[in-house]
Amino acid sequence: MNFWSVSTRRLLMLLAASALLLGIPAAATAFASSATTGTGWIRLAHLSPNTPAVDVYLYSFDNSKAMIVLHHVAYGTVSPYESVQAGDYSVAMRAAGASATSQPVLSTSVTIAAGQAYTVAGMGPESGLRLQVLDDKLTTAPGQAEVRVIQASLKQQEVKVTLGSTVLAGSLKFGTVSDYQPVSPGTHTVTVSAGGTDANSSVTLPAGTVHTLVVLDGASGLEIVNLEDASGSGKPPLGGVQTGFGGTAPHGPGSPVPWLVAIGAGSLLALTGGLRLRRNRQLTVRI
Amino acid sequence: MPTRRPAAALALAAGLVVIVGGVTGLLLTRHSIPAMRPAAVGVGAVPAPTGPIVGAFPAPTGPIVAVSQSAAPKPAAAPVSLTIPLIGVQTNLMTLGLGRDGTLQVPPPNMVSVAGWYTGSPRPGAIGSSIIVGHIDGDAGNVKGVFFRLRQLSAGDKIYVKRADGTLVEFRVTSIQQYPKDHFPTEAVYGPVPDPELRLITCGGAFDPATGHYVLNLVVYATEVG
Repeated sequence: MNFWSVSTRRLLMLLAASALLLGIPAAATAFASSATTGTGWIRLAHLSPNTPAVDVYLYSFDNSKAMIVLHHVAYGTVSPYESVQAGDYSVAMRAAGASATSQPVLSTSVTIAAGQAYTVAGMGPESGLRLQVLDDKLTTAPGQAEVRVIQASLKQQEVKVTLGSTVLAGSLKFGTVSDYQPVSPGTHTVTVSAGGTDANSSVTLPAGTVHTLVVLDGASGLEIVNLEDASGSGKPPLGGVQTGFGGTAPHGPGSPVPWLVAIGAGSLLALTGGLRLRRNRQLTVRI
Repeated sequence: MPTRRPAAALALAAGLVVIVGGVTGLLLTRHSIPAMRPAAVGVGAVPAPTGPIVGAFPAPTGPIVAVSQSAAPKPAAAPVSLTIPLIGVQTNLMTLGLGRDGTLQVPPPNMVSVAGWYTGSPRPGAIGSSIIVGHIDGDAGNVKGVFFRLRQLSAGDKIYVKRADGTLVEFRVTSIQQYPKDHFPTEAVYGPVPDPELRLITCGGAFDPATGHYVLNLVVYATEVG
C-alpha cells in the first residue's frame, strides 16, 4: 500500500516539475527593456559682447563640487555638448580666475530631461547679463535641415537674417533667439542685414542636421558662426536590417507545445496505469 | 482480475518513459546559444588597436578647456576598420547605401565576416549617430558572422574605429536593445544626436525559416570617449 502512495506522490512531483519547466522558457524570452539610458546633454556659451571672459561652472543640484569647469570662456565661445544624467543642475559664472568658492556673478538652475539637449548661454549686455536656458532641437522634418538664429551682436540692436530666399528672422533683437525652422538641405548663403550693412556667409546644412547660427560682433562688422547642434542620417533607412541568414539558428526550436502535450499525455497514461494497478492490488488483497 | 495487472504496469511504465522523453525534448529545444559574457581576457579576444586617439570631447569631469566651435572642427575622415577587443571583432569596413526599397543595404552572403558603414550616416567621431551593420551568421551550416557575439557586449565595453587618416576613435557602450524588425525605432537609431555616437546593428531573436530572416534587430548604442 505504502509503495503506491509514494509512487503517486512522485508522479505528482514529476507533474509539478514539468509545470515548472514550462515557466522557465517563458521567463527567458521576456523582452529586453526599451528603457533609455536616462541621459541628456548640456553645452555652455558666452554670448555677451561687452562682458569679459568668465569661468563657467556646472553643478549637480545636490553637490557643491563642480562637475564641469570651463576656464576663461570668452565672448563667442560655445562648448561641445556634455552627456549628463537627467536631473536638476545649476550653472554659475564667475569672473575669469576668481576663486571657485567666491560668490558667482550669475547663476541659474536647469532641469535636464532624458534624451533632451540644452544650451545655457550668458546673454545680453554686461549691465544686464543673464543666463538663458535654450531648448535645443533633436529632430528634423523628413529630408530637411533645421536652423535657428541667436542674435548676439551689440553693434546692431536688430537684424534681419535670410538663408537664400528664406527669411529666418525678420527683425531679431539683440539677446534673443528665433525658433528653429525647417529648410531644404544644401549649401546656402546667409545674409545678416542691419542699418544698411550686410554680412554674408556660406553655410552647409545637410539633411538630418540641426544648426544654430550665431550673429556676433566681429573685429570689424558682424560675424556669423554656424553651430552644428545635432546630426543624424539624412535619409533614414526604412524598417529593420536583414543582418542574418540563419546558418547558426537553433534547428527548429519551434513551439514547446508538442513536448508539453507529450508530457501531459505521459502523465495521464502513467496516472491511469498507476491507479489501475493500485485498484487491482486492493482487489487482490480483498480476495 | 490479475490478467489486467501487466497491462496497467505497462501503461505506467510507458507513461513515465513518455514524460521523460517530453521533458528531455523540451529541455534540448529550449536551450539556445548562451548569452554569456566572455572573460575579460577570453579566447578570441583581440588587443585594442593603437594609434592617435582623436577625441572631439574633453574629459567629462574636472577642469576642461573650452573649445569654440567657431574654430570649425576638421571634418572627420571616413571609417576603414572596426575593432571590439572583448568579443574578438576585427574587421575592415565596407561602404553601404540604401537599397531600391529604401532599406539599409547589408554585406552580401559571401562577406558575412565583414561589417559595413552606412554612408548616409555621420562619420564616426563627427557629431551624430554613425551606423555600422554586420551579420550574425551566414546561410551555410553554422557559419558565424562578424557580429555573432555582439549580444555579449554590455555597458562600458570599448569599441574602436580607425579612420582613413590613421586616427582612431574610441567609443564606450551605453546600452544594448532588441527590437522586433516590424517595430524598428527609426528615430532613436538614425535620428539626430548632439554628440559623436555609434550604433552597431545585427540580428537577434528567433530565425523564421518562412521569411528567411531573424525576427529581431539587436542595436548596440555607444558614445565617444573623450
